[in-house]
Amino acid sequence: MAGTQEAQTRPVKDWLRRLGTRIGLGIAVLGLGSCTPTSRPQLPVALNSYYTDEQPAMSGDGRFLAFVSNRDGTRSILLYDLQRKQFAQLPRLNRKDAIAETPSLSYTGRYLVYVASDRGRPEIELYDRITQRTQVLTGGYRGWVRNPNISSDGRYVVFETGRRGQWDIEIIDRGPGIELDRPNGS
Amino acid sequence: MTMAIAAVSSGCAAYPRLLNTPFDPGGRSLNSPAAETNPDIAGRYIVFVSEREKRQDIYLYDLQTQRTIAIPGLNSLATVAEHPDVSADGRYIVFAGNRQGRSGIFLYDREIRQLRNVTGSLNATVRNPSISDDGKTIAFEANLNGQWDILVYNRSGQPLDLPTPPR
Repeated sequence: MAGTQEAQTRPVKDWLRRLGTRIGLGIAVLGLGSCTPTSRPQLPVALNSYYTDEQPAMSGDGRFLAFVSNRDGTRSILLYDLQRKQFAQLPRLNRKDAIAETPSLSYTGRYLVYVASDRGRPEIELYDRITQRTQVLTGGYRGWVRNPNISSDGRYVVFETGRRGQWDIEIIDRGPGIELDRPNGS
Repeated sequence: MTMAIAAVSSGCAAYPRLLNTPFDPGGRSLNSPAAETNPDIAGRYIVFVSEREKRQDIYLYDLQTQRTIAIPGLNSLATVAEHPDVSADGRYIVFAGNRQGRSGIFLYDREIRQLRNVTGSLNATVRNPSISDDGKTIAFEANLNGQWDILVYNRSGQPLDLPTPPR
């Protein structure tokens, strides 16, 4: 009789123990999840790799460095934070079916301009790190383009054009309506 | 509704637009009858490479006065200058130069008209420099380990303390 009673309560105890473990784990996961952004110290990451890292472009404030890297079996534009010694994410910038070259940054690195191949045609594109959107600046432009460079406030983009049968310089004005990339408080 | 959308989109179509880029056969403006390459804009200045004097030289253009600014002592017959960049106040111009077969990252200070090799003690081929707005930080490429790496120096030629990749 005592044996059967024990046999009946053991599954209940086991179940309670498992439930307890699950709740415990759940709390632990929740705790970890909420702490991750602030409490986990990130180790410094190297800027260079054992593959080609080239075409460096400093942000105006000197904090960020955009460059082109051949690491990880892909040619991509990367953004390195010299202050935190970490890479900053550039969601949706690098595409699997295209190559981007010659990056340039605005003051805080909000705007990034570069040349990308779009259906076999070089285009100057602008990536906004806040909206994570890309804009083609030379859509419909007749002529070869290369080496774009953006002003610190993000309004002007200079680039080389082959339109007159040799390399010359053109200036794009993004207009007074854009959000300027300026130092804090100015 | 359709009309409203059309009005908005035509309003937006005005920008981005091309500015009328100044051209001067006399060579005192941004474009000339010769080639202009590698433009870099900072503040009111555009620094670039041009062959208007039948040599590959660096020029500084002022967007406000629409004229080039003299930079005495920067260009020389012994050096091929490439890939310039300028600080926001136009004081510091950095470029890659090749002199007697040795490459260097050169920094020109317009205030004291002095040219300095920032990478004089670095035994590597260097190219493609970029300078911050305040002219204090310079990043460039160096061929140190059999492939191009990026080095970051301060203005006086000291490397920034950055972690190296694990072996």
